Amino acid sequence: MAATTFAWLVLLCPLVGSIAIALGFRKLRGRAPGWIATAAIFLSFAFAVVTFVLLLGKNPHHRELTSTLWNYDFSATVDAKLQILVDPLSVFMILVVSGVSALIHLYSVAYMHSDRGYARYFSYLNFFVLSMLLLVLGGNFIMLIVGWAFVGFASYALISFWYRRRTATRAGIKAFVINVVGDVGLVLGTFIIFQHAHSVEFLKVFHSTHHVFAHDSSSLVIACLLLGLGAFAKSAQIPLHTWLPDAMEGPTPVSALIHAATMVTAGVYLIARMHSLFEQAPTAGDVTAIGGCLTLLIAATIGLAVTDIKRVIAYSTMSQIGYMIMGVSAGAYSAGLFHLMTHAFFKALLFMAAGSLIGAMAGDQSLDRMGGFRKAMPFTFVGFMVGGLALSGLPPFSGWLSKDEILGFLDHRGGGFLVLGILGYIGAFLTALYTFRMIFRAFFGEPVEQARQLEEGHLAHADVPRNPATGEEEDSDVGFPGPDHHIAERDPPMKIAMGMLVVLAVIGGVLQIPGVDDGIVRFLSTAFADSKLSRALPSTGTDWVGLAIGAAIAVVGIATAYRLWIAAPETPSRIRARFAPLYTLFVNKWYFDELIDVLVVRPALMIGRLFDSAGERIVVARGLTGGTVAIVRASSAAVRRAQTGLLRYYAAGMVIFISAVALYFLVSST
Amino acid sequence: MTLSILIWLPLAIAVIAATLTGPQIGRFSAVGSLATLGIAISYVARFHPHRAGLQFVTDQTWIGALGIHYKLGLDGLNVLLVLLACVLFSASLIWATFREWNRPRLFYFHLGLAQSAVLGAFCAQDLALFVAFFDLMLIPFYFLIGMWGTGDRVRATTKLVVYTLIGSFFMLAAAIATGVVASNEHGTSLTFVLSALRHLPLSRSSQEWIFLGFAAAFLVKMPLVPFHGWLVDGYKSMPIPAVAVFSGILSKVAAYGFLRIVLPLFPYASVHYQTLMLLVALVSILYATALAFTTPDARLVVAYSSVAQLGFITLGIFSLRSQGAQGALLQMINHGLVTAPLFFIVALLAARAGGSEKLRDMGGIAFRAPVLAALFLIIVLATLAMPGSANFIGEFMILLGVFKTKVAIAAIGFVGVIGAAYYALRVFVSSMHNRLNPNAETREIALADAAAIAPLVLVILVLAFYPQFVLSRTQASAQSSLSGTATPIRVAAR
Repeated sequence: MAATTFAWLVLLCPLVGSIAIALGFRKLRGRAPGWIATAAIFLSFAFAVVTFVLLLGKNPHHRELTSTLWNYDFSATVDAKLQILVDPLSVFMILVVSGVSALIHLYSVAYMHSDRGYARYFSYLNFFVLSMLLLVLGGNFIMLIVGWAFVGFASYALISFWYRRRTATRAGIKAFVINVVGDVGLVLGTFIIFQHAHSVEFLKVFHSTHHVFAHDSSSLVIACLLLGLGAFAKSAQIPLHTWLPDAMEGPTPVSALIHAATMVTAGVYLIARMHSLFEQAPTAGDVTAIGGCLTLLIAATIGLAVTDIKRVIAYSTMSQIGYMIMGVSAGAYSAGLFHLMTHAFFKALLFMAAGSLIGAMAGDQSLDRMGGFRKAMPFTFVGFMVGGLALSGLPPFSGWLSKDEILGFLDHRGGGFLVLGILGYIGAFLTALYTFRMIFRAFFGEPVEQARQLEEGHLAHADVPRNPATGEEEDSDVGFPGPDHHIAERDPPMKIAMGMLVVLAVIGGVLQIPGVDDGIVRFLSTAFADSKLSRALPSTGTDWVGLAIGAAIAVVGIATAYRLWIAAPETPSRIRARFAPLYTLFVNKWYFDELIDVLVVRPALMIGRLFDSAGERIVVARGLTGGTVAIVRASSAAVRRAQTGLLRYYAAGMVIFISAVALYFLVSST
Repeated sequence: MTLSILIWLPLAIAVIAATLTGPQIGRFSAVGSLATLGIAISYVARFHPHRAGLQFVTDQTWIGALGIHYKLGLDGLNVLLVLLACVLFSASLIWATFREWNRPRLFYFHLGLAQSAVLGAFCAQDLALFVAFFDLMLIPFYFLIGMWGTGDRVRATTKLVVYTLIGSFFMLAAAIATGVVASNEHGTSLTFVLSALRHLPLSRSSQEWIFLGFAAAFLVKMPLVPFHGWLVDGYKSMPIPAVAVFSGILSKVAAYGFLRIVLPLFPYASVHYQTLMLLVALVSILYATALAFTTPDARLVVAYSSVAQLGFITLGIFSLRSQGAQGALLQMINHGLVTAPLFFIVALLAARAGGSEKLRDMGGIAFRAPVLAALFLIIVLATLAMPGSANFIGEFMILLGVFKTKVAIAAIGFVGVIGAAYYALRVFVSSMHNRLNPNAETREIALADAAAIAPLVLVILVLAFYPQFVLSRTQASAQSSLSGTATPIRVAAR
């Protein structure tokens, strides 16, 4: 069978899984939905591996395969089919997506066990994987947009998964609407591209880019910026990022899967996929690169100040995606995608470990109330530590090789990109700092009550479950988190999933060691064969200099964190007092939420109310309608007695009258 | 089998049903509507998708002296709208059957008459016949509001009667003028047959004022802002089965009228007034979207979203591009398929919120009603035109068409797309999610209610996978409807 057939099977598995679980939600008992969903994704991963092997068997110059099921929107010169594109880029993505998804499904089997919405959860989760795979496999702009919106919906559904929490439903709507803004950018960008290239098929558009668009032509720059808008909304880049921290309202495995490992990196995939357009419009690429750089710095500063452990990791995700966006915008495609992969490993691992920690805290997510869990949760500690070291970029962990590959490329490209690269190193220092702030505060120091109890074998259990965000009392029925908490130490599926990610986070980098194997660069090279930028790779020597600098910065960052939170724990509060305005700015997340509220949300609602009060009640109802109606009313009080049947005569009379007028016109004119 | 059977069958069924008693009246009407639906399906199955001209033509002289023919036919513009009409009337009748109505004979008679008139208006290929059916289809609704309505039904009826009759009057005058002026300008005998009128193009000045007559009638009927004064009271008062078909299918007759009559017969005027019409549509989208943001009433959110959707449909038509017209035709089908079940669901929500249709009395009921929540969610996602639904393809094509003509209008139109995401989700979340409202009770959807809603959801899902079903059937006719507007200069030179 052809590689494309297996790619369709990759899509089919989660589709069947999702529908089967949704339809059987009353019949499936116990952990059955979880196992079905997990099996579906593992099967999907197996098919992805087969696709990969079959693609490798092909001549490197013939690794772009398309396959069509049927016409989807094929009319009036639009040529959208239900079509997939199998090339090294999409195969790389489906491997990462299905692989990480499979492990997170496995983790969820245990983590969500006591939740009353167990089947719904796995149906959504399978649907999400379907959407994400569709997004990366789609062979034209329409399929891409469909996948793009589907992941947005799946993200909404899972953020609002505990839908009886008002905080969760609000966060869901926010995420959905901001993502629709991104969708609109994508659609408008597609319009411009379609208008020039007369096709929505990727291969046709990319092959004709050089003929139909002049270098840096304004229409292409606008199109690419609109695509960038989509990428920024989905990847939570400034200023469209405010939904991501709120998205932490969803269950923790969802944060690991959607809001760390896969969906939020879709923007990176998008720019890499559209690289031939972006290279023809370098101005747009510069803008997105600067946006990514700003995001990585701002998010890192917020990560230093917030105390909700999941939100720290969320800001860290924003920051890391900033690196990727900056990389792929500058032409470091393989490096950006490599970092996408290693980030998926270690960030998923961090979230899973955080989920285990939150389980031990009986749902409490505040770093302020955590401490000393090292002995009570040795396995979780190892997981968190490995994830944290990889995130900080310490050798030989995977994050070190991938992040510094991006920065090395930027330094090598020089000019303004050198500045971005240096800012990236500052970000790397902040990364190590906030990561180890988390680790030192949660796992070191004096054990808190929950940790001491756990050391004696008692898992904390809240008598009255409360919403950690508001303190509101909850029950544990449908729409709220289940009554029991789960930690990796006690639940084998969680332990296995985390264990595999520990291995991947440590050694995932070996796929791409400069001068040794260059595996990812070589595999992806055919996908970026038409790119001028990616051919100018830095030499192995330069790469290693960059890696050395990165390692040194990570060590300095971790040492500083040690000094601040272990050796001299009174310093942070002194620094806070010394730089109070800055701290206020960081802890209030640079006031982006407030800004959007004042600029967009309030005006929109105000206009709605104004239209309702002034427009509808006065102009339309009294003026336009009232006037006419009053005339009619005055002349026929009969209408008021409609119930007596006079209305019938009235209506019949009107019809007869009109017919008479008609006849008169007809007769008189002929 | 002629189209006449399809058109008059609903009325015949209603007359027969009137001879029955008790619950049999409703049951007979519902089963009968399924028979009509079967006939409509057989027409769609036998329809040749790629032919532009009329198929299944019936042509008889009706009033010879005035050149009025009883001419019926199907092409890409109306074949699927006929099917949609039958689907929605079946759903509404199934919905109605499971409920009690005062004077059931009369109630079902009016619904049957309405269906016959709507089908007639879609199939009519003679201007006078179209006008007759167009007016006829409104009459049953005056009674449906006046006799079975809720709230201030007198006021609602008055407004609807006044608005639509004024609109109808304009259209009647315009229709007569079309035939008369055409025969005068070309010196031919009087005719109202559309295909004949197409070959008798009117002069610029005549087109310009006749266009306005038709536009007034159609814009009132849709309605678009500022012709929507009857909408709030009308939609609030109508009984649910009536409002479902009224919003689902009657509003489409007006949009269809633009494609069937106005664009082919008045191509010069269509180009002349293009910007004006696009602006009216755009204002409607923005205005209705803003109202849907804040209105506290679930039924009115659906009503305003209909106005916004008809704004999009009008945008597509007056983009005067084949993409826009195709998108508009697809969106007419899509909107009918989502708006009818939305009204049903609003009724179900109200039944669970102590009879109130206010959003503040609802909330949290998904909790014991997962099936209702799932059906509602699918419809809501289609309403907000999520990519992956056929509604998205409709809006995509519409805005692509507008984008090719007027970039700025398309760009502003997207505000309506974003707004829809918010207000549609707002209705869903504030009725289904959050804590259970103290005024509400959570109860799963009953089988009888699902019988009306689930089939529509199924159609929505099938179209989501295969919107091409509609597109390939409408393509040739949409092209032909627009063909005159591509070269209006030639017409203008006369």
